[in-house]
Amino acid sequence: MVDILKEIYQAVVEGKVEDVVAGVEQSLNSGVTVDDILNSGLISAMDLVGEKFGEGDIFIPQVLWSAKAMQAGMELLKPHLMATNQRGAGKVVIGTAKGDIHDIGKNLVAIMLEGAGFQVIDMGVDVEPARFVDKAAEEKADVIAISALLTTTMQSMGDVVSLIRERNLSSLKVIIGGAPVDMAFCREIGAHAYGVDALDGVKKVRELLGR
Amino acid sequence: METGSYRHCMPRFRLLDDRQIQRIHHAALRILDEVGVKIYHQGAVGLITGHGGRAKDGNVVQIPAFLVEEAIRSAPSNVLIFNRKKELAMELGGRRIHFGTGTDLPKTVDLNTREIRDTLAEDIIVSTKISDALPQIDFIGSYGLPKDVTPGLHYIRCFQLEVENSVKPIFFTAGSQEDLKTILDMAAAVAGSMEELSNFPFLIHYAEPTSPLCHSEEAVSKLILCSQKRVPINYTPALLAGATGPVTLAGALSVAVAEALSGLVIHQLVRKGAPIITGVVATSMDMLRATPCYAAPEFRLTHSAYADLFHSYDLPIWGTAGCSDSQFPDLQAGAEYAFTLLNAALDGANLIHDCGYIGQGFIAAPEMLIFADQVIAMVKRYMKGFAIDEDHLAMDVIRKVGPGGHFLVEKHTLDFFQEEHWHPDLLNRESLEEWTKKGRKTLNEKLIEKALHIAKTHNPEQLPGEVKTHLDNIWGETQQKMRR
Repeated sequence: MVDILKEIYQAVVEGKVEDVVAGVEQSLNSGVTVDDILNSGLISAMDLVGEKFGEGDIFIPQVLWSAKAMQAGMELLKPHLMATNQRGAGKVVIGTAKGDIHDIGKNLVAIMLEGAGFQVIDMGVDVEPARFVDKAAEEKADVIAISALLTTTMQSMGDVVSLIRERNLSSLKVIIGGAPVDMAFCREIGAHAYGVDALDGVKKVRELLGR
Repeated sequence: METGSYRHCMPRFRLLDDRQIQRIHHAALRILDEVGVKIYHQGAVGLITGHGGRAKDGNVVQIPAFLVEEAIRSAPSNVLIFNRKKELAMELGGRRIHFGTGTDLPKTVDLNTREIRDTLAEDIIVSTKISDALPQIDFIGSYGLPKDVTPGLHYIRCFQLEVENSVKPIFFTAGSQEDLKTILDMAAAVAGSMEELSNFPFLIHYAEPTSPLCHSEEAVSKLILCSQKRVPINYTPALLAGATGPVTLAGALSVAVAEALSGLVIHQLVRKGAPIITGVVATSMDMLRATPCYAAPEFRLTHSAYADLFHSYDLPIWGTAGCSDSQFPDLQAGAEYAFTLLNAALDGANLIHDCGYIGQGFIAAPEMLIFADQVIAMVKRYMKGFAIDEDHLAMDVIRKVGPGGHFLVEKHTLDFFQEEHWHPDLLNRESLEEWTKKGRKTLNEKLIEKALHIAKTHNPEQLPGEVKTHLDNIWGETQQKMRR
């Protein structure tokens, strides 16, 4: 691996945003391929971060700063990815269920998704089912991600799934998460995936999109 | 600069007010002056009478208040304990808390079979290794009375196994003055000389008076030897309210304190300024079963009370916690460990022993050392309190995030989360899904796994070869003497 890629890798692992930006800029200027920066620098670093988190060696704030650093690197790569017509990881519309303003879990997932290279459109809190679907259609998103904390608000997740069926948006997937939600509920409403926690959510989105 | 306010809050606890402390103190002084203590050691009787005490009926000695108060003044208020390598390990004084195991448990819950069987020499090695590896265990007791060692030699053998398997300070018992001498020979071999051992003590001898108000010949001879050699001693009674002391807590406490203070008088008359740790156990005897209670709430009350009293003397304080009346590591044991450890920490006791005990001081369960370690870490975080200053009030970040935002990726969160929030390594904080996926392990199972893992993999720092040979020689000679 080129030394500069090692530096980017290390900076992502340590959550050093400025070092990642500097490293990516320097790599682009010195002719390292976008693919190498993306795969050997950014993505493999986040894989290690995910692994370390799974082992309990690092904690959520550290993961999020790594994600933030990764995202900063991605921003610089975007124009080049478009120019070479490379597909990004995917596009996710995210928000909390209608009637629910508890958004800390949703925020965690959004940051982790961005850290994993997804483009995230955050609809915020208390999102009407139709707004989710409208936005996803408009943005040609791949996934709608919905979070709920209350048993009373989780029911609206099913409405999003129904709307997608009504409109025949068959390539659009729905992933759900949040404290009261489980796999059984996911099957019951016909959603495509359920994430136990933020990291699992990212993993499931990847699986949904076959990436 | 902010003035007139504390910039850091901490849990503070005190049971007795100044006048209550004085009342107990006066009661103990009256007991010593009016009733006296029975001392089965003529040298000690002569020592006290030679300094103003009065003997009656031969070996009952009445001790005037001034002798007690002189002893309180001359005893050091801070006792330094080192590790085997002469590095400072504990400063016993003030409200500095240290935790460790106890001694002499005849039974052990087998880590593999879970049966409760006789404690063996191998168990002493295992528990010493585990204690050596645990960050919250500051000092090490034998934690067992091995059945497979010749009776009369087990204290010596335990000390040898402990010093070979841990660098941490050792809290030890001895059967007789001869035992104690042999153990001190071993310790001097480790330290380089008796002089070096006195200057850098890595051990604390544990001996006790006998309630009510008696000092056995053995106990006093060990007390005197430690004083002469400047070897730190913990000389503390264990009184059972309603049996070996009055049933009322104030009375039980006063008698136990009188016992401890009379020991202090002997100790300081032998050599002023010699290091000693004092305190008492004054607990309930279960009035149905006649068993000594290790975790009774009344014990915690007398513990807090004597801690307040001995803090007023500014003397290093013994403590008892992390122990249970339950015969098995169960919910009762968990509750009693947590209750007693928190209480002892709030009391500011300096040398808190008996961590890892179950079965009323009868049974060892090595995995409970690990449990105690977890609870101590939790208690210490609680005792740390929290800062109330500009950085910790966090106005800047509150303003920055505003209503409805989040603090997850703020620098402030990253900077402070680890020092502000304790994270347990074994207590379960997993989600139901994660816990299920990982095999639904209970804490008990995790503790046993970790105990077995440490026993198998932990390599304590070894003694230099020539020291080890020296100890083996002392052990060999002691066995030969025993056979003769």
